Amino acid sequence: MDRLNDLDLKTFIVNTMIEVFDTMLSMDVEPTDVVPKSSLEGLRIVGAVSFVGKVTGRISIQLSQEFARVITAAMLGMELEEIEGDKEVNDVIGEVTNMVGGNLKSRLCDAGLNCVLSIPSTTSGSDFKIESKGWTRHERFAFKSRNHIAFVEVFMKTGS
Amino acid sequence: MSLKILTVDDSKTIRMIVKKAFKTFDCEMIEGENGVEGLAAAASEKPDLIILDITMPVMNGIEMLGKLKEDSTLKDIPVIMLTAESGKDNVLQIVKMGAKDYIVKPFKGEQLIERAEKLVKLEAKKEEKSVEDVSKKYFTLDGDFQILVLPEKITRPIIVEIEGSIKYKIESMAKSGMDKFILDLKKVNEINVLLIKLIILVLQNCRKGKIRIRLSGTPGISAGLKEFQETSEIPIDHTIEDAKAAF
Repeated sequence: MDRLNDLDLKTFIVNTMIEVFDTMLSMDVEPTDVVPKSSLEGLRIVGAVSFVGKVTGRISIQLSQEFARVITAAMLGMELEEIEGDKEVNDVIGEVTNMVGGNLKSRLCDAGLNCVLSIPSTTSGSDFKIESKGWTRHERFAFKSRNHIAFVEVFMKTGS
Repeated sequence: MSLKILTVDDSKTIRMIVKKAFKTFDCEMIEGENGVEGLAAAASEKPDLIILDITMPVMNGIEMLGKLKEDSTLKDIPVIMLTAESGKDNVLQIVKMGAKDYIVKPFKGEQLIERAEKLVKLEAKKEEKSVEDVSKKYFTLDGDFQILVLPEKITRPIIVEIEGSIKYKIESMAKSGMDKFILDLKKVNEINVLLIKLIILVLQNCRKGKIRIRLSGTPGISAGLKEFQETSEIPIDHTIEDAKAAF
Protein backbone atom coordinates (compact mmCIF):
# COMPACT_ATOMS: atom_id res chain seq x y z
CA MET A 1 0.00 0.00 0.00
CA ASP A 2 2.89 2.35 0.81
CA ARG A 3 4.43 1.72 -2.56
CA LEU A 4 1.20 2.91 -4.20
CA ASN A 5 1.07 6.04 -2.11
CA ASP A 6 4.76 6.75 -2.71
CA LEU A 7 4.36 6.89 -6.50
CA ASP A 8 4.70 10.39 -7.91
CA LEU A 9 1.72 9.96 -10.18
CA LYS A 10 1.37 13.61 -11.10
CA THR A 11 4.89 14.01 -12.53
CA PHE A 12 4.61 10.73 -14.34
CA ILE A 13 1.20 11.39 -15.92
CA VAL A 14 2.18 14.95 -16.89
CA ASN A 15 5.41 13.79 -18.57
CA THR A 16 3.65 10.96 -20.38
CA MET A 17 0.85 13.19 -21.68
CA ILE A 18 3.37 15.76 -22.93
CA GLU A 19 5.38 13.03 -24.67
CA VAL A 20 2.34 11.38 -26.30
CA PHE A 21 0.92 14.71 -27.51
CA ASP A 22 4.27 15.90 -28.81
CA THR A 23 5.34 12.66 -30.53
CA MET A 24 2.07 11.40 -31.95
CA LEU A 25 0.08 14.60 -32.44
CA SER A 26 2.69 17.37 -32.70
CA MET A 27 0.57 19.26 -30.18
CA ASP A 28 1.47 21.04 -26.97
CA VAL A 29 -0.34 20.11 -23.79
CA GLU A 30 0.11 21.43 -20.27
CA PRO A 31 -1.36 20.71 -16.86
CA THR A 32 -3.90 23.24 -15.69
CA ASP A 33 -5.82 24.06 -12.51
CA VAL A 34 -8.27 26.30 -14.30
CA VAL A 35 -11.06 24.03 -15.46
CA PRO A 36 -14.24 25.60 -16.86
CA LYS A 37 -17.43 23.87 -15.68
CA SER A 38 -18.42 23.34 -19.31
CA SER A 39 -15.48 20.92 -19.73
CA LEU A 40 -17.57 18.14 -18.22
CA GLU A 41 -20.75 19.00 -20.08
CA GLY A 42 -21.96 18.18 -23.57
CA LEU A 43 -20.87 15.33 -25.80
CA ARG A 44 -17.81 13.67 -24.33
CA ILE A 45 -15.69 10.61 -24.91
CA VAL A 46 -13.81 8.53 -22.35
CA GLY A 47 -10.97 6.19 -23.26
CA ALA A 48 -10.02 3.70 -20.56
CA VAL A 49 -7.62 0.83 -19.89
CA SER A 50 -7.57 -1.38 -16.81
CA PHE A 51 -4.67 -3.16 -15.14
CA VAL A 52 -4.84 -6.21 -12.91
CA GLY A 53 -2.18 -7.91 -10.79
CA LYS A 54 -0.28 -6.85 -7.68
CA VAL A 55 -1.95 -3.54 -8.34
CA THR A 56 -5.42 -3.23 -9.80
CA GLY A 57 -6.90 -0.12 -11.30
CA ARG A 58 -8.00 1.90 -14.24
CA ILE A 59 -6.78 4.94 -16.09
CA SER A 60 -9.14 7.00 -18.19
CA ILE A 61 -8.89 10.05 -20.40
CA GLN A 62 -12.03 12.14 -20.72
CA LEU A 63 -12.43 14.92 -23.24
CA SER A 64 -15.02 16.67 -25.36
CA GLN A 65 -16.02 15.15 -28.68
CA GLU A 66 -14.69 18.31 -30.32
CA PHE A 67 -11.25 17.89 -28.74
CA ALA A 68 -11.31 14.19 -29.63
CA ARG A 69 -11.83 15.12 -33.27
CA VAL A 70 -8.94 17.62 -33.13
CA ILE A 71 -6.70 14.86 -31.73
CA THR A 72 -7.92 12.37 -34.36
CA ALA A 73 -7.15 14.75 -37.20
CA ALA A 74 -3.70 15.46 -35.75
CA MET A 75 -2.87 11.77 -35.25
CA LEU A 76 -4.00 10.76 -38.74
CA GLY A 77 -2.55 13.83 -40.47
CA MET A 78 -5.84 15.01 -41.92
CA GLU A 79 -8.31 17.91 -41.82
CA LEU A 80 -11.19 17.84 -39.32
CA GLU A 81 -13.76 17.49 -42.10
CA GLU A 82 -11.95 14.46 -43.46
CA ILE A 83 -12.71 12.39 -40.37
CA GLU A 84 -15.07 9.72 -41.59
CA GLY A 85 -16.88 8.89 -38.35
CA ASP A 86 -16.91 7.92 -34.69
CA LYS A 87 -15.00 4.71 -35.40
CA GLU A 88 -11.86 6.66 -36.30
CA VAL A 89 -12.25 8.97 -33.28
CA ASN A 90 -12.80 6.03 -30.89
CA ASP A 91 -9.78 4.20 -32.27
CA VAL A 92 -7.49 7.20 -31.86
CA ILE A 93 -8.69 8.01 -28.33
CA GLY A 94 -8.35 4.32 -27.41
CA GLU A 95 -4.80 4.31 -28.73
CA VAL A 96 -3.83 7.52 -26.88
CA THR A 97 -5.25 5.99 -23.68
CA ASN A 98 -3.35 2.78 -24.38
CA MET A 99 -0.09 4.72 -24.67
CA VAL A 100 -0.61 6.64 -21.43
CA GLY A 101 -1.90 3.51 -19.66
CA GLY A 102 0.89 1.33 -21.05
CA ASN A 103 3.50 3.71 -19.72
CA LEU A 104 1.84 3.80 -16.29
CA LYS A 105 1.68 0.01 -16.27
CA SER A 106 5.41 -0.16 -17.08
CA ARG A 107 6.15 2.25 -14.27
CA LEU A 108 4.11 0.12 -11.85
CA CYS A 109 5.88 -3.07 -12.97
CA ASP A 110 9.29 -1.42 -12.55
CA ALA A 111 8.25 -0.50 -8.99
CA GLY A 112 7.57 -4.19 -8.30
CA LEU A 113 3.81 -3.87 -8.75
CA ASN A 114 3.46 -6.34 -11.60
CA CYS A 115 0.21 -6.21 -13.52
CA VAL A 116 -1.26 -6.86 -16.94
CA LEU A 117 -3.03 -4.34 -19.12
CA SER A 118 -6.42 -4.64 -20.83
CA ILE A 119 -7.11 -3.52 -24.36
CA PRO A 120 -8.57 0.01 -24.44
CA SER A 121 -12.28 0.74 -24.46
CA THR A 122 -14.14 3.95 -25.24
CA THR A 123 -17.46 5.33 -24.07
CA SER A 124 -19.19 8.41 -25.37
CA GLY A 125 -22.28 10.34 -24.43
CA SER A 126 -23.46 13.57 -22.89
CA ASP A 127 -25.25 12.58 -19.70
CA PHE A 128 -22.91 10.59 -17.49
CA LYS A 129 -20.37 10.96 -14.73
CA ILE A 130 -17.65 8.62 -13.58
CA GLU A 131 -17.81 7.43 -9.97
CA SER A 132 -15.87 4.63 -8.37
CA LYS A 133 -15.29 3.62 -4.75
CA GLY A 134 -12.91 1.54 -2.69
CA TRP A 135 -9.61 2.62 -4.18
CA THR A 136 -6.39 3.30 -2.31
CA ARG A 137 -5.57 6.14 -4.68
CA HIS A 138 -7.84 8.16 -6.87
CA GLU A 139 -6.38 11.16 -8.65
CA ARG A 140 -7.57 13.41 -11.41
CA PHE A 141 -5.37 15.69 -13.49
CA ALA A 142 -6.54 18.32 -15.95
CA PHE A 143 -4.67 19.27 -19.10
CA LYS A 144 -5.10 22.13 -21.51
CA SER A 145 -4.27 22.18 -25.21
CA ARG A 146 -5.45 24.73 -27.77
CA ASN A 147 -8.24 25.88 -25.40
CA HIS A 148 -9.50 22.34 -24.97
CA ILE A 149 -9.48 20.44 -21.68
CA ALA A 150 -8.73 16.75 -21.10
CA PHE A 151 -8.93 14.92 -17.79
CA VAL A 152 -6.77 11.97 -16.87
CA GLU A 153 -8.18 9.96 -13.98
CA VAL A 154 -6.38 7.14 -12.19
CA PHE A 155 -7.91 4.67 -9.72
CA MET A 156 -5.61 2.17 -8.00
CA LYS A 157 -5.52 -0.33 -5.16
CA THR A 158 -3.28 -3.23 -4.29
CA GLY A 159 -4.47 -6.46 -5.90
CA SER A 160 -5.33 -9.74 -4.28
CA MET B 1 10.87 -6.78 -56.15
CA SER B 2 8.81 -5.04 -53.46
CA LEU B 3 9.40 -5.96 -49.85
CA LYS B 4 6.41 -7.35 -48.02
CA ILE B 5 5.79 -5.81 -44.64
CA LEU B 6 3.14 -7.18 -42.31
CA THR B 7 1.73 -4.84 -39.68
CA VAL B 8 -0.32 -6.50 -36.94
CA ASP B 9 -2.20 -4.18 -34.61
CA ASP B 10 -5.80 -4.01 -33.39
CA SER B 11 -5.73 -0.25 -33.84
CA LYS B 12 -6.43 0.93 -37.38
CA THR B 13 -4.79 4.21 -36.38
CA ILE B 14 -1.46 2.52 -35.67
CA ARG B 15 -1.69 0.43 -38.84
CA MET B 16 -2.25 3.66 -40.79
CA ILE B 17 0.72 5.34 -39.12
CA VAL B 18 2.93 2.32 -39.93
CA LYS B 19 1.73 2.25 -43.55
CA LYS B 20 2.34 5.98 -43.86
CA ALA B 21 5.88 5.58 -42.54
CA PHE B 22 6.68 3.12 -45.35
CA LYS B 23 4.75 5.05 -48.02
CA THR B 24 7.80 6.35 -49.85
CA PHE B 25 9.45 2.93 -50.00
CA ASP B 26 8.89 0.13 -52.45
CA CYS B 27 6.89 -2.02 -50.04
CA GLU B 28 3.73 -4.01 -50.18
CA MET B 29 1.92 -3.51 -46.89
CA ILE B 30 -0.16 -6.34 -45.44
CA GLU B 31 -2.34 -5.93 -42.36
CA GLY B 32 -3.69 -8.06 -39.55
CA GLU B 33 -5.93 -6.99 -36.66
CA ASN B 34 -4.76 -9.60 -34.14
CA GLY B 35 -2.35 -12.47 -33.69
CA VAL B 36 -4.56 -15.01 -35.45
CA GLU B 37 -4.90 -12.85 -38.55
CA GLY B 38 -1.21 -11.97 -38.33
CA LEU B 39 -0.14 -15.63 -38.25
CA ALA B 40 -2.40 -16.48 -41.19
CA ALA B 41 -1.01 -13.55 -43.20
CA ALA B 42 2.57 -14.47 -42.27
CA ALA B 43 2.02 -18.07 -43.43
CA SER B 44 0.41 -17.13 -46.73
CA GLU B 45 2.45 -14.04 -47.64
CA LYS B 46 5.85 -14.84 -46.12
CA PRO B 47 6.60 -11.17 -45.35
CA ASP B 48 10.15 -9.81 -45.15
CA LEU B 49 9.39 -7.95 -41.91
CA ILE B 50 6.66 -8.02 -39.27
CA ILE B 51 5.71 -5.00 -37.14
CA LEU B 52 3.83 -6.52 -34.22
CA ASP B 53 1.76 -4.92 -31.47
CA ILE B 54 1.62 -6.63 -28.09
CA THR B 55 -1.75 -5.86 -26.52
CA MET B 56 -4.41 -7.16 -28.90
CA PRO B 57 -7.65 -9.12 -28.55
CA VAL B 58 -8.07 -12.75 -29.77
CA MET B 59 -4.32 -13.46 -29.76
CA ASN B 60 -1.78 -11.00 -28.39
CA GLY B 61 1.59 -10.20 -29.91
CA ILE B 62 3.61 -12.24 -27.42
CA GLU B 63 1.63 -15.37 -28.27
CA MET B 64 1.90 -14.70 -31.99
CA LEU B 65 5.67 -14.18 -31.67
CA GLY B 66 5.92 -17.52 -29.83
CA LYS B 67 4.00 -19.31 -32.59
CA LEU B 68 6.14 -17.68 -35.29
CA LYS B 69 9.28 -18.92 -33.60
CA GLU B 70 7.87 -22.46 -33.37
CA ASP B 71 7.24 -22.60 -37.12
CA SER B 72 10.35 -23.53 -39.10
CA THR B 73 9.06 -21.71 -42.20
CA LEU B 74 8.37 -18.44 -40.35
CA LYS B 75 10.87 -18.32 -37.51
CA ASP B 76 13.49 -16.35 -39.45
CA ILE B 77 11.21 -13.46 -40.40
CA PRO B 78 12.49 -10.45 -38.42
CA VAL B 79 9.96 -9.01 -35.99
CA ILE B 80 9.87 -5.50 -34.53
CA MET B 81 7.57 -5.33 -31.53
CA LEU B 82 5.55 -2.18 -31.06
CA THR B 83 4.51 -1.75 -27.48
CA ALA B 84 3.05 0.81 -25.14
CA GLU B 85 4.78 -1.02 -22.29
CA SER B 86 8.42 -0.17 -21.70
CA GLY B 87 8.83 -2.07 -18.42
CA LYS B 88 12.07 -4.02 -17.94
CA ASP B 89 10.31 -7.39 -17.66
CA ASN B 90 8.31 -6.75 -20.77
CA VAL B 91 11.36 -5.79 -22.83
CA LEU B 92 13.38 -8.75 -21.52
CA GLN B 93 10.60 -11.14 -22.43
CA ILE B 94 10.36 -9.73 -25.97
CA VAL B 95 14.10 -10.00 -26.55
CA LYS B 96 14.26 -13.48 -25.03
CA MET B 97 11.53 -14.68 -27.35
CA GLY B 98 13.52 -13.64 -30.40
CA ALA B 99 12.10 -10.29 -31.49
CA LYS B 100 14.81 -8.42 -33.39
CA ASP B 101 13.88 -5.03 -31.99
CA TYR B 102 11.18 -3.16 -30.16
CA ILE B 103 9.74 0.33 -30.25
CA VAL B 104 7.90 1.89 -27.34
CA LYS B 105 4.80 3.93 -28.13
CA PRO B 106 4.56 6.87 -28.59
CA PHE B 107 6.79 6.70 -31.65
CA LYS B 108 7.44 8.61 -34.84
CA GLY B 109 7.40 7.06 -38.30
CA GLU B 110 11.07 8.01 -38.77
CA GLN B 111 12.03 5.90 -35.75
CA LEU B 112 10.29 2.89 -37.23
CA ILE B 113 12.03 3.34 -40.59
CA GLU B 114 15.40 3.71 -38.84
CA ARG B 115 14.88 0.38 -37.03
CA ALA B 116 13.46 -1.37 -40.10
CA GLU B 117 16.49 -0.34 -42.19
CA LYS B 118 18.71 -2.28 -39.82
CA LEU B 119 16.80 -5.45 -40.69
CA VAL B 120 15.74 -5.12 -44.33
CA LYS B 121 16.92 -3.16 -47.33
CA LEU B 122 14.35 -0.46 -48.03
CA GLU B 123 14.35 1.05 -51.49
CA ALA B 124 12.63 4.25 -52.55
CA LYS B 125 9.45 3.74 -54.54
CA LYS B 126 9.84 4.19 -58.26
CA GLU B 127 7.54 7.12 -58.87
CA GLU B 128 7.16 6.53 -62.60
CA LYS B 129 5.89 3.00 -62.07
CA SER B 130 3.43 4.22 -59.47
CA VAL B 131 2.13 7.02 -61.71
CA GLU B 132 1.75 4.56 -64.57
CA ASP B 133 -0.28 2.16 -62.38
CA VAL B 134 -2.61 4.93 -61.24
CA SER B 135 -3.03 6.11 -64.82
CA LYS B 136 -4.25 2.70 -65.86
CA LYS B 137 -6.59 2.52 -62.87
CA TYR B 138 -8.46 5.81 -63.30
CA PHE B 139 -7.57 7.48 -66.62
CA THR B 140 -8.73 6.48 -70.08
CA LEU B 141 -8.17 8.07 -73.45
CA ASP B 142 -11.17 8.37 -75.76
CA GLY B 143 -10.18 9.97 -79.06
CA ASP B 144 -8.89 13.41 -78.15
CA PHE B 145 -10.65 13.38 -74.78
CA GLN B 146 -8.80 12.52 -71.58
CA ILE B 147 -11.29 10.95 -69.18
CA LEU B 148 -10.80 10.53 -65.43
CA VAL B 149 -13.33 8.04 -64.05
CA LEU B 150 -13.81 8.30 -60.29
CA PRO B 151 -14.76 5.21 -58.26
CA GLU B 152 -17.90 4.78 -56.11
CA LYS B 153 -16.45 6.29 -52.97
CA ILE B 154 -13.55 8.71 -52.65
CA THR B 155 -11.17 7.94 -49.83
CA ARG B 156 -7.91 9.54 -48.75
CA PRO B 157 -5.67 6.94 -50.45
CA ILE B 158 -7.54 7.55 -53.73
CA ILE B 159 -6.98 11.31 -53.45
CA VAL B 160 -3.28 10.70 -52.80
CA GLU B 161 -3.03 8.40 -55.83
CA ILE B 162 -4.80 10.81 -58.19
CA GLU B 163 -2.98 13.85 -56.79
CA GLY B 164 0.31 12.11 -57.49
CA SER B 165 -0.51 11.42 -61.12
CA ILE B 166 -2.74 14.23 -62.38
CA LYS B 167 0.11 16.70 -62.78
CA TYR B 168 1.96 14.30 -65.10
CA LYS B 169 -1.26 13.56 -66.98
CA ILE B 170 -1.98 17.26 -67.58
CA GLU B 171 1.63 17.86 -68.65
CA SER B 172 1.52 15.01 -71.12
CA MET B 173 -1.81 16.30 -72.53
CA ALA B 174 -0.27 19.73 -73.05
CA LYS B 175 2.77 18.19 -74.76
CA SER B 176 0.61 16.22 -77.20
CA GLY B 177 -1.66 19.19 -77.94
CA MET B 178 -4.74 17.80 -76.17
CA ASP B 179 -6.92 20.20 -74.19
CA LYS B 180 -10.19 18.38 -73.42
CA PHE B 181 -10.62 16.70 -70.04
CA ILE B 182 -13.76 14.99 -68.74
CA LEU B 183 -14.17 14.18 -65.05
CA ASP B 184 -16.61 11.27 -65.07
CA LEU B 185 -18.61 10.94 -61.84
CA LYS B 186 -21.23 8.45 -62.97
CA LYS B 187 -19.90 5.65 -60.72
CA VAL B 188 -19.78 7.87 -57.62
CA ASN B 189 -22.48 6.89 -55.14
CA GLU B 190 -21.35 8.81 -52.08
CA ILE B 191 -20.89 12.55 -52.05
CA ASN B 192 -18.49 13.42 -49.26
CA VAL B 193 -16.05 16.17 -48.46
CA LEU B 194 -13.20 14.18 -50.02
CA LEU B 195 -15.02 14.07 -53.35
CA ILE B 196 -15.42 17.86 -53.27
CA LYS B 197 -11.74 18.22 -52.43
CA LEU B 198 -10.78 15.97 -55.35
CA ILE B 199 -13.01 17.83 -57.81
CA ILE B 200 -11.41 21.13 -56.79
CA LEU B 201 -7.96 19.56 -57.13
CA VAL B 202 -8.70 18.37 -60.67
CA LEU B 203 -10.21 21.72 -61.66
CA GLN B 204 -7.20 23.62 -60.34
CA ASN B 205 -4.75 21.38 -62.18
CA CYS B 206 -6.68 21.75 -65.43
CA ARG B 207 -6.82 25.52 -65.02
CA LYS B 208 -3.09 25.64 -64.35
CA GLY B 209 -2.33 23.52 -67.42
CA LYS B 210 -4.78 25.50 -69.60
CA ILE B 211 -6.87 22.37 -70.16
CA ARG B 212 -10.62 22.66 -70.71
CA ILE B 213 -12.71 20.47 -68.44
CA ARG B 214 -16.32 19.24 -68.22
CA LEU B 215 -17.87 17.19 -65.45
CA SER B 216 -20.22 14.34 -66.21
CA GLY B 217 -22.54 12.65 -63.70
CA THR B 218 -26.04 11.52 -62.91
CA PRO B 219 -28.79 14.01 -61.98
CA GLY B 220 -28.41 12.78 -58.39
CA ILE B 221 -24.72 13.67 -58.36
CA SER B 222 -25.51 16.99 -59.96
CA ALA B 223 -28.05 17.80 -57.24
CA GLY B 224 -25.67 16.61 -54.51
CA LEU B 225 -22.82 18.81 -55.71
CA LYS B 226 -25.09 21.85 -55.67
CA GLU B 227 -25.33 21.43 -51.89
CA PHE B 228 -21.65 22.33 -51.52
CA GLN B 229 -20.60 25.93 -51.91
CA GLU B 230 -17.40 24.97 -53.75
CA THR B 231 -19.21 22.97 -56.45
CA SER B 232 -22.64 24.61 -56.52
CA GLU B 233 -21.90 26.61 -59.65
CA ILE B 234 -20.19 23.89 -61.69
CA PRO B 235 -22.28 22.66 -64.64
CA ILE B 236 -22.67 18.88 -64.81
CA ASP B 237 -23.44 17.06 -68.06
CA HIS B 238 -25.51 13.96 -67.57
CA THR B 239 -23.67 11.74 -70.06
CA ILE B 240 -20.17 11.53 -71.46
CA GLU B 241 -21.59 12.28 -74.92
CA ASP B 242 -23.21 15.48 -73.59
CA ALA B 243 -19.88 16.47 -72.05
CA LYS B 244 -18.02 15.85 -75.32
CA ALA B 245 -20.60 17.86 -77.24
CA ALA B 246 -20.35 20.74 -74.77
CA PHE B 247 -16.68 21.47 -75.57
